[in-house]
Amino acid sequence: MALIENTKCECGHQNRVGTVLCESCGKPLDNSGESQALLEMRYDGVARRSQRVNPNFIDRIWNFFSSVKVAVYLILFTLLGAMLGTIFEQESNFINFDPSTFYKNKYGQIGEIYYKLGLSHTYESWWFVLLLVMIGASLVICSLDRVLPLYKALSKQRIRKHLQFLTRQKVVYQGPIHEGEETDWVERAVKPLRRKRYRVHAEKDALLAEKQRFSRWGPYIIHIGLIVFLLAVLFRGLPGLHLDQHYWFPEGEKTKISGTNLYLENEKFTVEYYSQDEMSEDFRKTGKEVPKMFETKAILYECTANCDDPSKQPQLREVKRHAIQVNDPLSYKGLSAYQFDFDLTPKLRSVQPVLVNKVTGEQYGKFKLEMNNPQQEFKLGPYTLELKNKFLDFSLNEQGQPISKSKDPNAPAFLFLVKGPDIPEEGSQFIYFPKQIDKERFQQDAINEKLGGLQNKLQIDVLGMEDVDFIASSSYLNIRIDRAMPFVWLGLGIVMLGLIMSFYWQHRRIWLRIDDGILTLGAHTTKNWFGMRREVSSFLAAMGIEADEKSLENGGK
Amino acid sequence: MDFLEISRYGFMIAFFLYCASFIFYVVAVTGKTWKNRDPEQHERKWGRISFVTSSLGLLSHLVYCAARWAYSGHIPVSNMYEFMTFLSMMVMIAFTVIFFIYRKILLGMFALPIAIIIMAYAAVFPREVQPLIPSLRSIWLYIHVTLAATSEAFFAVGFIAALIYLLRTIEFNSTDKSARRQKWWIEFTLFSIIIVVGFIVSVFAFRAAGYEAVYTQNKTTIDSQVQQDSTIDKQGVYHMPPIIAPYESKPVSVPAFLGMDRAWFEAPSWMSGASAARKLNTVIWALITGIVLYLILRLILRRPLGQVLAPAVRGIDPNDADEISYRAIAIGFPIFTLGALVFAMIWAQQAWGRFWGWDPKEVWALITWLYYSVYLHLRLSRGFQGRKASWLAVLGFLVVMFTLVGVNLIIAGLHSYAGTD
Amino acid sequence: MGKARRPVQIIVLLCIVILGAYAINSAVAGRSSDKPVVGGKPPAMKLLGLDGKVHTLDEYKGKALVINFWATWCTYCVNEMPALQKQWEKWRDQGVVVLGINTGEDRMTVTNFTQQLGTDFPIWFDFDNEAVRDYGVVPMPTTFFVDKTGRIASIREGELNLSTLDTQIQQLVQTEG
Repeated sequence: MALIENTKCECGHQNRVGTVLCESCGKPLDNSGESQALLEMRYDGVARRSQRVNPNFIDRIWNFFSSVKVAVYLILFTLLGAMLGTIFEQESNFINFDPSTFYKNKYGQIGEIYYKLGLSHTYESWWFVLLLVMIGASLVICSLDRVLPLYKALSKQRIRKHLQFLTRQKVVYQGPIHEGEETDWVERAVKPLRRKRYRVHAEKDALLAEKQRFSRWGPYIIHIGLIVFLLAVLFRGLPGLHLDQHYWFPEGEKTKISGTNLYLENEKFTVEYYSQDEMSEDFRKTGKEVPKMFETKAILYECTANCDDPSKQPQLREVKRHAIQVNDPLSYKGLSAYQFDFDLTPKLRSVQPVLVNKVTGEQYGKFKLEMNNPQQEFKLGPYTLELKNKFLDFSLNEQGQPISKSKDPNAPAFLFLVKGPDIPEEGSQFIYFPKQIDKERFQQDAINEKLGGLQNKLQIDVLGMEDVDFIASSSYLNIRIDRAMPFVWLGLGIVMLGLIMSFYWQHRRIWLRIDDGILTLGAHTTKNWFGMRREVSSFLAAMGIEADEKSLENGGK
Repeated sequence: MDFLEISRYGFMIAFFLYCASFIFYVVAVTGKTWKNRDPEQHERKWGRISFVTSSLGLLSHLVYCAARWAYSGHIPVSNMYEFMTFLSMMVMIAFTVIFFIYRKILLGMFALPIAIIIMAYAAVFPREVQPLIPSLRSIWLYIHVTLAATSEAFFAVGFIAALIYLLRTIEFNSTDKSARRQKWWIEFTLFSIIIVVGFIVSVFAFRAAGYEAVYTQNKTTIDSQVQQDSTIDKQGVYHMPPIIAPYESKPVSVPAFLGMDRAWFEAPSWMSGASAARKLNTVIWALITGIVLYLILRLILRRPLGQVLAPAVRGIDPNDADEISYRAIAIGFPIFTLGALVFAMIWAQQAWGRFWGWDPKEVWALITWLYYSVYLHLRLSRGFQGRKASWLAVLGFLVVMFTLVGVNLIIAGLHSYAGTD
Repeated sequence: MGKARRPVQIIVLLCIVILGAYAINSAVAGRSSDKPVVGGKPPAMKLLGLDGKVHTLDEYKGKALVINFWATWCTYCVNEMPALQKQWEKWRDQGVVVLGINTGEDRMTVTNFTQQLGTDFPIWFDFDNEAVRDYGVVPMPTTFFVDKTGRIASIREGELNLSTLDTQIQQLVQTEG
């Protein structure tokens, strides 16, 4: 059983348990009465909300989180935990790798222990998140516990404080005032204080001057901002609020962004390198090449019809154009596209060859042969070409059958069934390699000899480079949707506001009272005592009292 | 004379002016006790001389910065050389700001050596002007780095004032347990600074001598796709005589140094990283040089360094030193939050699409922030003042320096844009 | 205010516990990404079939599914095609559907291929690789075995031979419960 403390002050005010300074007159309640030690002024000496006589279970939890000591320990543990996570790379840095062998192979025994302890994903581990949650709890409860009593204490301050309250402040002046000045001394003191931007409340022989009280709310605003920030981060991961995907965008193709009804086209991708004369002389000597810019000229489309029907062509409408660079993403209604990587290997998109009668030299048509979804039948003069099969990356398997090694058009081949004059009625097969190098490598003529012997009669030829269409390059973009970001920034904005309030302004108060011709002055500030002493000294000088800045310092030694 | 040359001269002149002004500050502070002098007049006169000299140095430092900016077309903070030079400039600016508020000459005597050491440390790194890679080409480079450096400079001033407080209050003649422990730690702090000096000295000494040793390291990797062993020969170049050779390596050329013509040890297997052994070797040389320097100083002075410095700080009120330390940190903390965290997040969001990625540099910036928030909580709510707060401020600066330097040297990450010897 | 304090305390603490549990759970779960897992449901898809019609998985409600991601250029996929066809013929009467998802190839290539091999189980086109993304398919072939209650019973990466397929499907049919 805790002793019931006597918390009634001599001025008659009944204080709550835990009160350090009487809520009304400011008399120190440390019972001794003799002590000359400096006063503990935090929270203006009022009791925190959680301080009560017989705490029960909930009170105990509440008290735990409302303690600054606990908060400091929580921060320290988080700090140490965060350090552990920087020893080796985190798993989240990699895509597609096997962490169970990676750490052992790279760092040996220590790496394996690191992995087994779960430190390879420190920041996603339950204990690290738990620490953050507890910090969040501490932010809420600490603030709730202090801000209300402090607000009450500051909004109803008594002007005339107990003498001890004044003499035990950190900045104190005590001395006689000139005779005959007692009556209007307080009144005369108002003006110089107002000039220093103080709000002055005066009584007959006592005065309270106060300024920049709002700075006292700074810490609580910081805490609110941090809570907003933490909540925003927490809810970022809710389904629908978050998308994070990487896509290859081949130049000139429209690619669907899954999970949305948007399509993105990479119109042109460029890499620019620094020219020789843009580099310093020293750097040129190193012979390094440095890229200056990666840019994807992107067009974003929105699907307006047939969006959900894979059997039909979707109807697209352009909604945004942007040249995406590193540091300059495309943004549209919460979706952002970031430059991430690129591939400069050209890929064949289509060729427009002609059919040549080798005997007469006659040319038929230009016909367009797409690598993907090609047209299946071409009528060229007297001939009909029926596309039977295609192999984008031509090769022969072990059984000697033609196959495609990959989906990329590295060595495309097209198998036609040709009908027309001088060809048997059921037609004759003919294979065509658009790339000259493949024609030789796979011996197009020899294959056609076996297929139907058309190589002597017909030929498919590309006349010039203008008939070849390439995908010059591909751009790798990171597509993100993050609907919680505005709240993240809002939280951080509030934190900054609170920081500026509490660190670049100080709540300053000056109390004074006159008892029998003796002036007693006490002053308090939240920080910058140096400035406070200077201000008091200059105020006293204005009142005709010489007091050195140093001499105002109370106690100290 | 082009801008680059102007900036080189600016750097040199600033460096020498700082050195000179350091000596003047020492004269101003310690000369008061000399015979036949009016202490106050002496302090006023020499204080002015030293402040003018250090301000001229700062001016020249600004010329360096402006000229290099004009030459390269971007703010000179894009590699380790530029950043550390910039940081030392910010330390000087922070010192000047605090000096204008408090007018304490003593601060100069401690701030200048810090600025000089950081500047000399910068010169260890490759000095050429590098073109900016695309991810650095952003307005946020200017804002993020300058603000971060500014706040760290204020933390440095906080460290300096805390050190002064400790030197002023520790009773060097007392033999009780707490005093002995504090004496030991203050000596250790000063020793650590001398190790950094030792590092700089050893790099420049061996660089002047043109020392170079080469090792090859065979690394066998099994390519999982082709199931084939491929052996890569990696060459490691040492610019300091090897005490530690790379793991499983063969010397190619190791010139003898003081009769030492081969490494004494081989790095352990877990230090198989590209330059881990070389870095360890450099650390060992820094330690050796630092210890030698320290012993020489002790031999000359015949007393612990803390005790030598203590009389010099006698003129300052310890409460003022404590207040300055706190004030500097209180000014720096919001700037740090804004520059090193908030703006860094905005930039990261713009460049990589995520505002936070637990990259080691980011984590260490967070650790620094958490550390100083602990300092502020302890100070504001738990009454940590004077001695305890000063030790926290001293340790805090170590955290800052690890974030700036240690992370780049030891832990690789997105920010590691510079190598070193 | 004194009276309201207890409820306020309880509400605040309760909120913290709920949010904290959610935070820890999503952090730990978030690590294993959002790929489908054994015991979970196969992600929905709406794709064009080889028959020219649009299909969804709902059509096969109550049936056991063998969802096979494949392509004609993938040798292992091609190798297991006859086995898939055999199993389709064997089990189709017992409510088992073999479903081939072709990844990103055009109609002609796939039609030619199926004609050549003589397969007749349903094949859908995943032109934009959307299903590949949703199912988190990395190597090919990858096969998802879904039981009749609509849960993923197992996920197999790489080529499957006739006997493994058979045992897998047998298990599927048995677990109808």
